[in-house]
Amino acid sequence: MYKYAFLLIVAALFTAPSAHALQAFACEPEWGSLLTELGGDTVQVDVGTSALQDVHVIEAKPSLIAKVRRADLVVCSGADLEVGWLPQLIKQAGNPKVASGPGYFLASDQITTLEKPSKLDRSEGDIHPQGNPHFQLDPYRVLAIAKALDARLAELDPPHAAQYRQRLADFTTRWTAAIGKWEAKAAPLKGRKVVVHHLSWVYLNTWLGLEQIGALEPKPGVPPTSAHLAGLVELAKNQHAFAILRAAYQDQKPGDWLSAQTGVPAVTLPFTVGGDAQAKDLFGLFDDTIDKLLAVAK
Amino acid sequence: MNFEGLELSILGPACVAGLIVLVTHVPLGQQVLARGIIFIDLAIAQVAALGVILAQYFGMDEQGLGVEVAAAIAALAGGALLTFTDRKWPDYQEPLIGTLFVLAATGSLLLLANNPHGSEHLKDLLVGQILWVDLHRLIGVALLSAVLLGVMWWRRAQLAGPLFYAVFALAITASVQLVGVYLVFASLIVPALATTGAGGVRRLAAGYAIGVAGYVSGLVLSALLDLPSGAMIVWTLAGCGVLGRVLLLLSGALREPVAA
Repeated sequence: MYKYAFLLIVAALFTAPSAHALQAFACEPEWGSLLTELGGDTVQVDVGTSALQDVHVIEAKPSLIAKVRRADLVVCSGADLEVGWLPQLIKQAGNPKVASGPGYFLASDQITTLEKPSKLDRSEGDIHPQGNPHFQLDPYRVLAIAKALDARLAELDPPHAAQYRQRLADFTTRWTAAIGKWEAKAAPLKGRKVVVHHLSWVYLNTWLGLEQIGALEPKPGVPPTSAHLAGLVELAKNQHAFAILRAAYQDQKPGDWLSAQTGVPAVTLPFTVGGDAQAKDLFGLFDDTIDKLLAVAK
Repeated sequence: MNFEGLELSILGPACVAGLIVLVTHVPLGQQVLARGIIFIDLAIAQVAALGVILAQYFGMDEQGLGVEVAAAIAALAGGALLTFTDRKWPDYQEPLIGTLFVLAATGSLLLLANNPHGSEHLKDLLVGQILWVDLHRLIGVALLSAVLLGVMWWRRAQLAGPLFYAVFALAITASVQLVGVYLVFASLIVPALATTGAGGVRRLAAGYAIGVAGYVSGLVLSALLDLPSGAMIVWTLAGCGVLGRVLLLLSGALREPVAA
């Protein structure tokens, strides 16, 4: 056993280093997709999590540490979304390039977050001190992050700076056109009311003008009280919610329960890249999200 | 196959953590098995978690030594309670342990009902992740384990009653935060179970061998197959337990084929 383990370790040491100019690690699939848009073949991207898992909590795997160890750049949402594991992962990887400085890119630092509490007070209970970290479903924020990330790529890899600039210009053109298309398509959704599973849809709601009237599990992982559920059933019926929104990784049961109680359809949205077969990249993510919403809005 | 995680600097600290846990848990596991109270580790771990949540509820800082002390005090209190019930109602010790477990677990949920990060927090306390071990905690647990091992050796004949429960509570509290509750359970029970019927020192040696083989092979496999390390080690520990049992049977080291 030991002898073979040793041989395998030796084999691992001789695996050829990457031929790409830049090695990036993305905490979430949306940033992996954005890195591919901006970096093309020049940037080799590892993605730490999938759309089908809850990124607040992940299981420790040796490969995760290895990926961060070889990275030149780590790209994560920030705003405390990965606070449960990213600090340990970076510490364990012992890679000074990504521990701080230009190799450590938090998307939340490039934008303003919503639901940022004006006063930091524990009594408020359900708050993220840095605001809501699920901003990947606002295309304008994605564009702002793309610009900042592109500048970071150019800073870390000056020989390819012109190429990154070129790709950003191309992405901006396609993205802006797509935003126009999405907004036109989603216009009928404006003002419609939704119930959400967790509080992870505020950016989508704000962008499309959806009105959130309640949440099934306002505190992640803590079961809702019966009074809260009874109130929610009333609310969903009286206010004519058109959909119950939940992410692909979330448990189906609470949404199905509320749907059965109220007749409001529960709709599973991809939430991020890879959340379903259509959401292959950032464009597919928004296409599919709006299609799924329109399908139940009729 | 995936060779990228197979680095000594990644797997090494986790392996050391596993070995430190085994040092105290293999002998303690034999006691637990002999007393027939195999779920005591889950109960003590939950009580320790409840202690930490209580401390935070009353405004104690999340990081720092205070939390460790709160966990240890809660675990010792749980141990004292179980010592008392063991004396008073020895026949019902196992169901009482089970009841303590669910009370501590649901008590934490009730306390965390107004905490937005409640479930993450509870999970952190109970599902310590072996790959995330940090050096400071490793040194602390190593020192504690050495002391506990010393106490067990010194009182090996009479490790009963309050002393057993105290040693057990401290060992579990430290190891759960290091490697998580599943691995603690497996490290306690599997080596002891696989070596029942073997005598004294030989049983201890066989238990340690099974434990070490389980941790090493589990870490290597988790790297090769790219699977979560803690869960993988539980399975390799069980596999090594079966293998160890077969080897013990073949070598005739067991006093009787099936013994309690």
